[in-house]
Amino acid sequence: MLSFTRDAYDAIVRHGHGGGDREVCGVLAGDYGDGESHVTDVSPVENAADTPQTRYAMDPEELLAVIDHVEDAGSDVVGFYHTHPAGPTHPSTTDVDRATWRGYSYAICAFDGHPFLGSWRWRGGGFAGERVAIEG
Amino acid sequence: MRVTVEVVGEETRNVDVAADATYADLARAVGYSPHEVSVMVDGSPVPEDQPVDAGRVRVLRLIKGGSSGATLGPPS
Repeated sequence: MLSFTRDAYDAIVRHGHGGGDREVCGVLAGDYGDGESHVTDVSPVENAADTPQTRYAMDPEELLAVIDHVEDAGSDVVGFYHTHPAGPTHPSTTDVDRATWRGYSYAICAFDGHPFLGSWRWRGGGFAGERVAIEG
Repeated sequence: MRVTVEVVGEETRNVDVAADATYADLARAVGYSPHEVSVMVDGSPVPEDQPVDAGRVRVLRLIKGGSSGATLGPPS
């Protein structure tokens, strides 16, 4: 399961709305667990992809700085999020091909309708869906 | 030469590479394709085809993807 504070969940939706037709992305921070993680903070990261309407690529320097900041603050990196402005509501084959952080959550907020946020753990050979909840 | 390699989010290990090894070779030595990671020295990416000249590096697994491409059915 991946749970969010209300503020963290809303921050992702706002970020996605602000991106318009471009995919946006960021880091999820909080308490990490292999089966259950809790997100308390969201840090946007620049989408450096050449075609941000359909791709995202976190800028490596900014990503590393955010990870260091999260860990220096005594928190955990829980996973990552990105948006699909026109869907789908689940990982694409591109998402599967590019995933690298085994055991971490990859959350996707889709905007082809009412914003819908789903999350999947990367298990090496594929994504495993996990329940998303808003708590605290 | 011996290089201390931190895979960000995982562990730190010492890796022995040939004197003419590149950063791409170093990425492979810790189990990653150079296309999956950025090798970082002092917080900045270094070209993968450049010879290793740092004693300590961080290997950052890249976070990328997107909605393009064929889509999968909803995973379980």
